[in-house]
Amino acid sequence: MPAPPSAAESRLDTRYAVETPEGIALWLRPAGVVPRFYAYLVDVAIRFLFFSISFVFLSLLGTFGEGLALVLFFLLEWLYPVAFELSSGAATPGKRLLDLTVVMDSGLPITPAASLTRNLLRAADFLPSLYAFGLLSMLFRHDFKRLGDLAAGTLVVHAPRAELLRGTPPAAPARAPAVPLTARAQAAVIAWAGRVTRLTDARADELAEIAVPVVVPRAMGGDRVAALVGVAHWLLGRR
Amino acid sequence: MTPLQFESQHAAAWQELETALTPPSGKRKPTPADRARIAALYRAACEQLAIAESRSYPVWLIERLEALTSRGHQLIYRQGDFGIDNLRRLFLVDFPRAVRAHRLQVLIALAAFAGPLLVIGVLCYLDPSAILSLQDAGSVEQYEGMYGDPDGPIGRRNADSDWAMFGFYIRNNIGIAFQCFAGGLFFGVGSLFALIFNGAAIGSTAGYLTWRGFGANFYPFVITHGAFELSGIVLAGAAGLLLGHALLVPGRRSRLAALEEAARGAIVIVYGMTAMFAIAALLEAFWSSARWVPASVKIGVGAACWVAVTAYFLFQGRARRASGEAP
Repeated sequence: MPAPPSAAESRLDTRYAVETPEGIALWLRPAGVVPRFYAYLVDVAIRFLFFSISFVFLSLLGTFGEGLALVLFFLLEWLYPVAFELSSGAATPGKRLLDLTVVMDSGLPITPAASLTRNLLRAADFLPSLYAFGLLSMLFRHDFKRLGDLAAGTLVVHAPRAELLRGTPPAAPARAPAVPLTARAQAAVIAWAGRVTRLTDARADELAEIAVPVVVPRAMGGDRVAALVGVAHWLLGRR
Repeated sequence: MTPLQFESQHAAAWQELETALTPPSGKRKPTPADRARIAALYRAACEQLAIAESRSYPVWLIERLEALTSRGHQLIYRQGDFGIDNLRRLFLVDFPRAVRAHRLQVLIALAAFAGPLLVIGVLCYLDPSAILSLQDAGSVEQYEGMYGDPDGPIGRRNADSDWAMFGFYIRNNIGIAFQCFAGGLFFGVGSLFALIFNGAAIGSTAGYLTWRGFGANFYPFVITHGAFELSGIVLAGAAGLLLGHALLVPGRRSRLAALEEAARGAIVIVYGMTAMFAIAALLEAFWSSARWVPASVKIGVGAACWVAVTAYFLFQGRARRASGEAP
């Protein structure tokens, strides 16, 4: 298990852990104001376009169409988010575009009651105008819940990405460390090797300088970075 | 075991789980055997994540497993049952029970709505100019055409058709009801305001029209859909007050926990209240305004609706005493 975050860390870090019945921690990453604002804009645009196009056709039907248009407007205004949140992606098209989903704050999939609650209470978030209360609530909380989310017990999170291959070390000939390394030291070397491609050469070398005298003293003169990456490969199992 | 050995040992299972979690676009429903397999793979992945974390395996392994398990968790714990049985149970049992369970809030909402309605109604009947302090002269003038015209449909300007009015009632009235509910989040003040305001507006209209001598048009018009609409607005307010009450008097819980719990109860009332408004919109558009239905029939049907709605909230969904179990 990763060490639980200290008080200072948890004040900065917005990651949010929930434990599942299987005994693992799910890490939720609540989405802040900016991506949710963009998602909202996209949804407003989609609803506007959809309504305008339908309105053109419905107005051909005379007063019957006028009535239907008003019902459609009602459904788009209040139930559009509910319908999409209960579908398999658990997010409106705007949220999907920004890779957000809505979940319960227990990490479970959203329930119909919670989805309706959070979307009807939008009216309270909107007050006094332009989502001011919702915005304040999101800014004051590190899980970015708006008032509707508070009552419904829901969270808007960044969707877990399926493809992730970051942290693979660059190619280098494997070499054994000179001394047996503790589990913590092994993890540190592997984690450093995974970050090497994203560090400047000077910084990578500077960090390598700390480890190399102990881990591979024979490589002191040569390319310290390549030597330490080689050790990381050895530790990963390329021997 | 090195991380690479660990990865190659389980890669096939992870790949299988990954493909199972991204269903093909054909949307084939998973068979029970598929589901059992997914659950088994998911549990195995959870175990492997725990192992990987305790052994400080590299970040790409852990993140892959985290993504895999969290997607599996979402799929496995999804509640797929919004079926017709739940809907039946909602209206036969849960909704009337929720209303009775929160009778305190319902009675407060009723007082906040019916009190101003009666007081302002009598006031406007005795002194019709009082309506002008609540509504502007233009809309009062419109009532003449809506309720005074002996030929056209009642309760609307002549040009509006049944369907257009149905759409209007749905959008306008249910929207107001939802806002009335949401206003409860401000310690109940928003809901109280909406109840008092709507009560006063309806009371002033009724009082004025009675004084004007349009009662014979007005009361047959409102009585039928009023059974659903007026009780609907009271229930919307009660659902809002439930939220406000939880925030004001959380008891031995945090305010947030109390709010979440109250919202779970209130939303059941909101489901039912929305259905009542939909019924009211249908009646108001197609029945109440119709000229071909004699006023006496409307009064009779309307009275029956009031009795039915009251009986529904008082008796529907109670546990049967003889059998001693919930229906």
